[in-house]
Amino acid sequence: MNKSEDFSDLAERIANDDQLAYRQLFIQFYNKLSRFVMGFTKSKELTEEIVSDVFINVWRRRKNIQEIMNLKLYLYVSAKNITFNYLKKLQRENLADLDSVEIEPEDPFADPGAAMITREMNLKLKAAINELPPRCKLIFTLIKDDGLTYKQTATLLSISESTVENQLSIALKKIGSSIRYTFKHN
Amino acid sequence: MLNQNSSSQGQFWILLSKKLSNEATSEELAELQSILLNNPDLHPQADMLTEMWEQGSINNSAGSEAAYMRHMMKHKDEFFVEQSSEGINSDDTVFETSPGFFRTHFSKKRFIILSFLALLILTTGVVYLFSQKRSTKFSTEQAISSIVTKNGNRSKIVLPDGSQVWLNAGSNLDYNNSTFNKELREVSLNGEAYFDVTKNPDKPFIIHTKKMDIKVLGTVFNVRSYSDEKTAEAALIKGSIEVTLKDRKDQKIILKPNEKISVANEEPKTEIKQTKVIPAKTDPVRIPQIVVKELKPNPTYNNIIGEIAWTQNKLYFEDETFENIGLRMERWFGKKVTIANESLKNIHYTGNFENETMEEVLSYLKLSKTFNFRLGNDNVVIY
Repeated sequence: MNKSEDFSDLAERIANDDQLAYRQLFIQFYNKLSRFVMGFTKSKELTEEIVSDVFINVWRRRKNIQEIMNLKLYLYVSAKNITFNYLKKLQRENLADLDSVEIEPEDPFADPGAAMITREMNLKLKAAINELPPRCKLIFTLIKDDGLTYKQTATLLSISESTVENQLSIALKKIGSSIRYTFKHN
Repeated sequence: MLNQNSSSQGQFWILLSKKLSNEATSEELAELQSILLNNPDLHPQADMLTEMWEQGSINNSAGSEAAYMRHMMKHKDEFFVEQSSEGINSDDTVFETSPGFFRTHFSKKRFIILSFLALLILTTGVVYLFSQKRSTKFSTEQAISSIVTKNGNRSKIVLPDGSQVWLNAGSNLDYNNSTFNKELREVSLNGEAYFDVTKNPDKPFIIHTKKMDIKVLGTVFNVRSYSDEKTAEAALIKGSIEVTLKDRKDQKIILKPNEKISVANEEPKTEIKQTKVIPAKTDPVRIPQIVVKELKPNPTYNNIIGEIAWTQNKLYFEDETFENIGLRMERWFGKKVTIANESLKNIHYTGNFENETMEEVLSYLKLSKTFNFRLGNDNVVIY
């Protein structure tokens, strides 16, 4: 496990009512969870409400937070459950579907200049990522941008690990092919 | 051969995915390596995707600070409600108030705000000292609120006027409850705090520190005034502030956004120098009494502004002496730091740490200049 992925210290501090630790957890995951939730709700206001619910539950249950084996996965699963409940309440269950999710991944390169990437190539990569099928794009984003493992992604989306493995390799192949095209024309 | 090639290409994407996501076993890594050897045309794609993967993982937290504020306000009852005193360690926490005090002195609204304040402080584990002093001179009741953070703790406070204060470790902030927000908003600070002052031109906000007084109307800035450090400073992020030095009351220095003023804490025996804006190149031997400089974001660390990095939970220092870093780590981690070897004190370091333990920070620093350290339960000796 990545060192920065160990949340036991943070969890201990939160269990001891440390609001600074709680704030740190919030800041670290707010944008990531919002992106995930937004993919289903397509509504900024609803997304903010849902992510706020996710975190207030953490605070309400802070005394037991150390019993949670994987805090990061817990946040995502909790975000998914609350999202699906909201959608059910709003009778928009059709949105609670992995094949209609519209996720917005991070830009392929935060600093294309530093990576010696031309503007044109960067746009190509971005377009290739955006053209991925919904489920495939979601899995790609959860693993690359959110740093979830195959297993965590599988648990979160209730799919098998081999589906995750396949979908990610399809994503990489498609993105890779988009730049091979560029190389040939250069 | 061709057939095998195309099937190994299918395998290639699976293996590359696994490698980038840290899911690959050493056998799979070796297999990927051999596919790459036999298919040089895959190299550019593999390199590009690897670079994309590595560079893409920056942590973007833009806007989440504001979202946190909205979250806190939405659920304020959960964060600030009154709780019983169980769980408070009576050794290091003092909480005293006399019955009827709030009733007689404060409106209900103010009472609620003060409860928020008290509870925020209780829940963050800092010392809240609420003492009432009877002033014989004016024969009126005075209430001094004193918020103290121990080493290793930081806290956020909302003052009765709505101004927000982030108090760094080892600091205390005092204000007089009965006069605060009457004509002036006056606080005293010993240590470091980041202020976001609610705008109110009719009631200037004044911060008293050992070396300077800072007068503001509504603005965002950082003040650092620890008595054990060589300089005290104020850094302005937004708005404008007026600084008056304790030993030269007639002189006022107006700071513009993105400027900071540093004042020597100990008086050198030489004559007092004139206030001036010092360009980057100055005599390195004489420490000037007062320096006004521009704040410089550091591009190496995501344009961090050193003066306010601590408000983002970052322990950041830029070209600072080990002696000063020792003092800062002492407050940050709440462990006594002793540098036993004098020659180490003048080594300069730059670094940015967020979730690291004290042991990890010291191990990183060790990489550039060698030293040893012995970590105890509540202290560390560097030699």
